[in-house]
Amino acid sequence: MSEKVMLMLKVSYNRQMSQKIKNAVIWVSVVVAALVMFFPIYWMFVTAVRPREEIFAPEVQLWPSEFVWSNFVEAWNTLPFTQWYINSFAIALIAVVITVFINLLAGYTFAKYDFPGRNVIFLLLLSTLMIPIQVYIVPEYLIVAQLGWVNTYWGVIFPRAAEAFGIFLVRQFMMSIPDELIEAARIDGASEFTIFRKVVLPLSGPVIAVLIIFTFMWRWNDFAWPIVVLQDQEAYTVPLGLNLMQGAYYTEWTYLMAMTLVSILPMLLIFIFFQRYFVQGIARTGLK
Amino acid sequence: MARGVRGRGLTRREFLITGLGAGAGLVLLGGCGGDTSEAEGEIQLNFATWGIDAELEAFQNIINQYEAENPDVSINLTHVPSDYYEQLDTRLAAGNAPDIVRMQYQQIGRYSSEGALVDLTPYLSEGDGDEFEPAFWQAVGYEDRVYGLPHHTDTFALFYNADYFEQLGVEVPQSLEECWSWEEFTNLARQIKEETNATFGFAMNWQESNPYRWMPFLYQRGGQFLNDDLSAPQINTPEGIDTIAWTQSWFEEDLVPPNTSVKSTEEIHALFANGTIGMMLNGDWYLPYLEDHMTNFEYGVTYMPCNIEKASDMGGNALAVSKDSNHPEVAADFIKFVVNEDNMRNFVTSATFIPVRTSLLEQELDYRIRPDAMEIFLEQARTIPEHMASVQTLPEFNQINQVMADELELAFVAGQDPRTTAQKIEEGTANALGN
Amino acid sequence: MQRRPLQKGTGELRIRIRRWWQRHQRRLIPYLFITPNMIVFAAFMFIPILYAFYISFHDWSLIGTSQFIGLGNYFNMMQDDLFWQVLINTAIYTLGTVPTSMILGLGVAILLNRWIPARGILRSIFFMPVVISGVAVALVASWIFNDHYGIINNTLRQMGSDPIPWLSSPTWAMPSLIIATLWTRIGFCMVIYLAGLQSIPSSYYDAAQVDGASSWKQFRYITWPLLGPTTFFLLIINVIYSFHVFDLIYVMTGGGPGFSTTVIVQYIYQAAFQTGQMGYAAAMGVVLYFIILAFTAIQWRISRQGESIE
Repeated sequence: MSEKVMLMLKVSYNRQMSQKIKNAVIWVSVVVAALVMFFPIYWMFVTAVRPREEIFAPEVQLWPSEFVWSNFVEAWNTLPFTQWYINSFAIALIAVVITVFINLLAGYTFAKYDFPGRNVIFLLLLSTLMIPIQVYIVPEYLIVAQLGWVNTYWGVIFPRAAEAFGIFLVRQFMMSIPDELIEAARIDGASEFTIFRKVVLPLSGPVIAVLIIFTFMWRWNDFAWPIVVLQDQEAYTVPLGLNLMQGAYYTEWTYLMAMTLVSILPMLLIFIFFQRYFVQGIARTGLK
Repeated sequence: MARGVRGRGLTRREFLITGLGAGAGLVLLGGCGGDTSEAEGEIQLNFATWGIDAELEAFQNIINQYEAENPDVSINLTHVPSDYYEQLDTRLAAGNAPDIVRMQYQQIGRYSSEGALVDLTPYLSEGDGDEFEPAFWQAVGYEDRVYGLPHHTDTFALFYNADYFEQLGVEVPQSLEECWSWEEFTNLARQIKEETNATFGFAMNWQESNPYRWMPFLYQRGGQFLNDDLSAPQINTPEGIDTIAWTQSWFEEDLVPPNTSVKSTEEIHALFANGTIGMMLNGDWYLPYLEDHMTNFEYGVTYMPCNIEKASDMGGNALAVSKDSNHPEVAADFIKFVVNEDNMRNFVTSATFIPVRTSLLEQELDYRIRPDAMEIFLEQARTIPEHMASVQTLPEFNQINQVMADELELAFVAGQDPRTTAQKIEEGTANALGN
Repeated sequence: MQRRPLQKGTGELRIRIRRWWQRHQRRLIPYLFITPNMIVFAAFMFIPILYAFYISFHDWSLIGTSQFIGLGNYFNMMQDDLFWQVLINTAIYTLGTVPTSMILGLGVAILLNRWIPARGILRSIFFMPVVISGVAVALVASWIFNDHYGIINNTLRQMGSDPIPWLSSPTWAMPSLIIATLWTRIGFCMVIYLAGLQSIPSSYYDAAQVDGASSWKQFRYITWPLLGPTTFFLLIINVIYSFHVFDLIYVMTGGGPGFSTTVIVQYIYQAAFQTGQMGYAAAMGVVLYFIILAFTAIQWRISRQGESIE
């Protein structure tokens, strides 16, 4: 009897051991994969801090012979990066406020109201995702130029304020909000906008977080559209500045990598801080 | 109940804000964002260009000077670092193109034939044209009208790694007449590849869709791209096929790095600066770059290789006034100022270009960087074939250039044989010319 | 004396408006709520897109005047070998990027959904490339894949093996682009799949464990079916992204060597801005739209997961 118990314990102990080994192997392989994924960013960093004359050296030097931190300062000072960061932050922040608000309102409407033309309009919005911007960028620019928005923040912000993808996310999320809550508020005599503001918005934390991160990321990285609208260097955003840096005739790789690295920092920080909330937010959007 | 009513009142206001706000906002902002340019009777002009720092500084100096002399005019220099013509086209389509535009001689024909540029003839006096080199004056004209003013040119010569040449004991030609033949040139390339640290012999700067720079080789071989009256292609000839075969052999023999074909985005000057290639066929405007970046080797410049004829690339730019300018007379006055003798001299000597005014070509020019090398470029510039210049300034040239990019790329990287290549360039060109 | 009736009048009007509003608000409110969005969409999407559609029946170089040519652009497309070639290239790129990034993303998501050491950092590392702009990705990738001074070929040379002509051979150029794309896509798929995994109730797995189902069976019969809507969403979004790829290829290979990496959007860009055929470019855009639409519709039918989106 006791032998049998001993054997069972042993088996379960072995099973635990092999489970542990299995976990360790999995962990190590995930870490290796992560290192591979991280390498390009590391390499950007190494290129950025390396002495300029070393970057075309044929030998592989995974570690720079010396750290030339002044590369960052010099690169920053060669061009009006301070102005460009101000522009990028202003555009991204204003766009976040506008886009999040109007997308929430529209996504909520598509999820919770039944009205003639709803599905047609919704599919029409989604189908705009399927046309590459290169096809309609000229007429779009024509309209923005008519409005006098060339070289303004508005010229970048408004045409992209309504994101079909954002509306889609919000709609998926809002469908999980129980109809009973809304009906109850309606019976209490709350107006429709009050329902949206007082009942729906407080429950929308996760999807708002996701929208904020995505919108900020899209506006921060936008290239094809801003480069057409923003023609003065004064009005440039960071990606346009990087493009300027890569410049007409030759690429200064050290500086370019230094500034590319700096340009992704805001997004990286945002993601690292909000990582958990972000994933949960998407989980709640019903893309289960 | 009372709450409900108040709530509803609030709602209506909020509706106004949300519903109409966006629409009203659009209109209001549109109004505000509109014309801020013409305050206090001041004339504002926009000037679009691309370029490296030396060029931009030179332009800015000229602008400052012009503004000092004309206090009622202010000129805003815009640097468009990439996709210059794409952006220009977009703005022309929307009717808000910059007043003053810089453009390659190769582009003038297309823009003037489509009515995108202002006819400058009324702003010029009799005989103005005689002060410029004929090839460039011809390049800015279209149907007997003038659509731009020639500003500068540049051309190709052969840059070489002086350390490798010393190691091999190579003597460079002392005059244009002694230029290396095609065969001597490729032999030298083989020697560099085999006997020095260089991985490849040389490279040619025609990447990023500049395949028209292949044309000088055709003219060296005694061919021409179109017939004499520019009405039909003349590329599918023994000369044409020979030239394709020769340039293709660079790739087949690995004399040039395989990623330096016409569609690649490789920067060959970096390869030259770090000794990967021993020679490069490239333009004078890379001298400032090499001064800064070629730290481990010495370099020199000598003449382009030659065959039956001598020929080199026609580079450089003109300045023009776009149809969207509200003050064409001021814009025209400004570009006349930019290309006057003093300003042209300052521009070309500080940014290492070649002037296009005959008087300047006859003077000793005080180049800031490598005056010895600039001597070679100045001499080489005289070999730019006039027939080639008229081909490249045709309105249809953009399409011809695309055909060349497609077909030469196939010849260089996919081994399309020279005969087929010549034939397909011929077809594409005939198509572009509309026959 | 004269003011009173007037006041009374406005008072009545206000009441009438209020009554009217009370009667119709349920019907009007949805439209009011979507108005801000619709204004933006109409002004900056629908009108430009309709205009592009109109242009597709014209011959227009952008800078000159346009000329009506009916279906000319569409007929030209059918006879344009290059058009078919770039469609095939686009399909190759899509096949190379979409399934791979989804499979790898799912694998990473499953591993990082359990509790393992340094999970937060690992997730962040996988997601990092997603936040980098397309142009920056292309620059880093060209730097790493460079034939002559890229780190990969330098390493190969140092180990004594032959360097690989990453961007200069028609064979390797497409794989290089696909690898660069995977770098940014895996993290995106991972995050969306992670979210999907988290919304599967753990009670399902508990029940399966009681029944003694193997991990493969649990995956096959619980995880995979319940991830259906996520997979559907990712598939559509990834296909759209792949069909629209432009920046990366424009910077890394310029569509070469030969035509080996010329994809549809690049061909559209070239027609619109380099060879003065805006009308042809618009016509190709229209065709691309219908291709993606057809793909989405087919996928919708096949997956039968339409309800969850509906």
